[in-house]
Amino acid sequence: MAALKRRSALLERVESSPANPARGTAAAGPPDRRVEGRKQAPLPLTAAAFIVGVLFAFPALYLTWRNVTSDSDPLGLLTSSRTLEPLRRSVVLAVLVSASTAVLGTALAWLTARTDLPGRRIWRVLLPLPLAYPTFVGAAAFIRTLNPGGLANDLLEGVGIDHSFELRGLFGAWLVLTLFTYPYVYLPVAARLRSLPGSLEESARLLGDSGFSTFRRIVLPQTASAITSGALLVCLYTISDFGAVQLMRYDTLTRAIWTTRLADQPTSFALSAILLVLAVVVVAGERIGSRRLGERRPARTNTSRPLTTPLNRWRLPGLALVGGTIGLALVAPAAALADWGISGLVRNATGGRSLAINASDVVGPAWNTVWVSVVAACVAVFAVLPTAMLLARYRSRVGPITGNVIISTFAMPGLIVALAMFFWTLRSNWAAEYLRGTLFVLVFAYVVRFGAQALGAAQIAVAAVPDRLHDSARVLGAGSFRRLATVDAPLVTPGLLAGGGLVLLSTMKELPITLLVAPFDFPTLTTKIFQSFEDAFVAEAGLLAMVLVVLSGALTWFLVVRRADHLD
Amino acid sequence: MTKIEDSSLRRITATVLAIAIAASFTTACSSDKRELSEKAAAIVTGECRDERNQTVTIYSGRTEYLIRPIIEAFACETGIDVRVRWGNSTDLAILIGEEGTATEADVFLSRSPGPVGFLESRGLLGTIDDEVLSLVDPQNRASSGSWIGFSGRKRVLVRNLDLVSDSELPESVFDLTEDRYRGRVGLPATNGSFEDWFTVFRDTHGDEVATQWLHDMVANDAEYYPNNRAIVEAAGRGEIDMGLVNHYYQYQEAAAAGDSHRAENHDFGPNDIGSLLIITAATILGTTKDRGAAHELLAYLLSPQAQLYFTNQTFEYPLGAGITPNSILPALSALEIGSVDFDSLGGGFEETERIIRESGILTG
Repeated sequence: MAALKRRSALLERVESSPANPARGTAAAGPPDRRVEGRKQAPLPLTAAAFIVGVLFAFPALYLTWRNVTSDSDPLGLLTSSRTLEPLRRSVVLAVLVSASTAVLGTALAWLTARTDLPGRRIWRVLLPLPLAYPTFVGAAAFIRTLNPGGLANDLLEGVGIDHSFELRGLFGAWLVLTLFTYPYVYLPVAARLRSLPGSLEESARLLGDSGFSTFRRIVLPQTASAITSGALLVCLYTISDFGAVQLMRYDTLTRAIWTTRLADQPTSFALSAILLVLAVVVVAGERIGSRRLGERRPARTNTSRPLTTPLNRWRLPGLALVGGTIGLALVAPAAALADWGISGLVRNATGGRSLAINASDVVGPAWNTVWVSVVAACVAVFAVLPTAMLLARYRSRVGPITGNVIISTFAMPGLIVALAMFFWTLRSNWAAEYLRGTLFVLVFAYVVRFGAQALGAAQIAVAAVPDRLHDSARVLGAGSFRRLATVDAPLVTPGLLAGGGLVLLSTMKELPITLLVAPFDFPTLTTKIFQSFEDAFVAEAGLLAMVLVVLSGALTWFLVVRRADHLD
Repeated sequence: MTKIEDSSLRRITATVLAIAIAASFTTACSSDKRELSEKAAAIVTGECRDERNQTVTIYSGRTEYLIRPIIEAFACETGIDVRVRWGNSTDLAILIGEEGTATEADVFLSRSPGPVGFLESRGLLGTIDDEVLSLVDPQNRASSGSWIGFSGRKRVLVRNLDLVSDSELPESVFDLTEDRYRGRVGLPATNGSFEDWFTVFRDTHGDEVATQWLHDMVANDAEYYPNNRAIVEAAGRGEIDMGLVNHYYQYQEAAAAGDSHRAENHDFGPNDIGSLLIITAATILGTTKDRGAAHELLAYLLSPQAQLYFTNQTFEYPLGAGITPNSILPALSALEIGSVDFDSLGGGFEETERIIRESGILTG
């Protein structure tokens, strides 16, 4: 306890120290910290980031190797309309979904973090949850609820409305992906808003700006990097998604990769390489774009509390937006899952066909899902931290390259990541003997696949720690470790938790890697759901998917939202 | 603020520790694998034998729901330990292709012939001994001895009972290109069993006829669906009038959704390509270290108790041990099995994929 008190005492002293110009004057906005003005990166940090970068490059290197050694011809494919059309559709879909999630995610984050919207605490728990649906189940459940003859149809017919509108194609894929991926924007923006001082907004309000004008002039510029990093994840997720586009019957590049994967492997590998190049271009583009944007990063101060903007007459529209999003993204699929699951339970109880699963089929997989995902999320956060620090604080060549590798890998199809794990472990007898089929490789694969989600949030979190705070702490005699523990850790924790939360939710629902890479006899909820769905055991799939969503919700609340709230 | 933060760090540590302890606990508890489930116990005919220090590793493209009881019963009756990697047949075949001769799999079970053809073309399959091969009729196994069929699924037309009357039902898949079926038929065009079926279609009627049929279907506004299950479910809701699917999803959907599922299977005439039987195949990898145990497993899949289980519990067609199909299944006729050389499937698969993509069905 004494140590704890000492730590908090240091932070307080630092923040109130005259050597901290951020104190009370954050409203003036410190100047941009340009790359030229940064310090040289310490060698251990650069080395750590470099090693992580190489490990993250395993899938890309595997894919390159396959393209070079087989008779695949990515360049030739690029000139055929068979490739260009799906490629164009992937790009169109990615642009639309990124744009809509950027708007929706930011609006939701602002409404729940900065306004007097009723029910904020509940919304904060519910809003990240659509990320918990595996798209192959979520999209199917969505169709089951909203398409002709579905649950919503029955409901509407009851009040005399004939509904024959069918979700499919570009619109269907856009809607489903927007609803399932906006948390990629919502979570980092909400975390960013929580760590921003309200003083600027307060001044703006005092000077007569309306709530929305304050939002546009003050909040938006300060959250721009969180928004773009979130939208980047959405964009990469969209170009790599297969579940939703498949069920909505929208023919994108991933579908071409998927349909050719057995019959024509070289083509499948070549198309995957094109996907990867597309991802690298998008990531590099975002980097250049956000550098031009030159975001202002005011220092965080704890002396001013975040401002609560009264919504007044906008309260109802605000509630409608949040409620409508939850209704479509969370409740609509849940309704179908519950319909499947509950009718299965009823049948089971009334002597109809009995359920093909019992409690032990749920408990064991649920437990496996939870602990492997928590481990993967923790490892992912630590793995990306060196890169995040390089990017945010130092002048370094390694930082941007590693960052690009980590983020681009997010666009790799899970199957390629899984195959890469086998490819690399089989390169040596030792690895084949001791690593293949172990949890170690499974966690590694998860981290590689989803590390990108932690990086954006971690980078923003690290960047939010003002240099001056470090300088002040040094002046006050704190060593580098103590500075890390007492100055950085408390300030970056909300951001890291948000990033870790994203990895957690994604890992819990991950399918292709889990199926192929997990040890024998290591069922997870998703592999069980997949098997149930594969052979039309929809009652079982519904029940298991509900367990997955509820568990995701509980974990998100326990590990992410609750802790982040404490830090307000 | 920092005080709360520090205690929350402590709580995170405590949580991680608790997880680690509980994880080791559950691993210790799950070691008793010989406890039989109810379904498995119903398959076992004799007593369980003592373990004999042999292991078979299966990569199974058939799901746990359908085949796990048989595998449990096999482990009990033979004393052979079984490890299974469950997954999608196609992805598992690709994985074996990636692992090559280093694969851990002894046996690969496929939902459909395509993935088997892929492995055969890679030279990764071993030859099954004659004693086991002879358990099924020659038309249900590879002439090369590389695979053996152990159950079958029939292609049928599923239809919505309210939207399609009996008099409207087609006699042949060729009728579906007529104007009266415009926009009413769903095709699972990228599904493994549809692709296998279409490959046999090409083989039987020639590329020109088969390709023309598919183009006519597209011109007739046939609807693409990602898989059989989605079509059966959509037909049950009335989203689509009818669709070409495997017969057995209907039984699962009907069992799950009850009366609200307004769909039924329609069997094309006995001589129609639309009622083809798609075989689920078992193979032994060339690199298996225990051919004996692998053969025992294949023989068990074709034993009377396993074949009875397939037809009565999973509504499939039995292929061995002289077991007759469950009476609720559409009858099989002579042409459906035996007239097709399944060995051509692997090689013809790539071309099938190309024809389907180029037909425009995926973007319609």
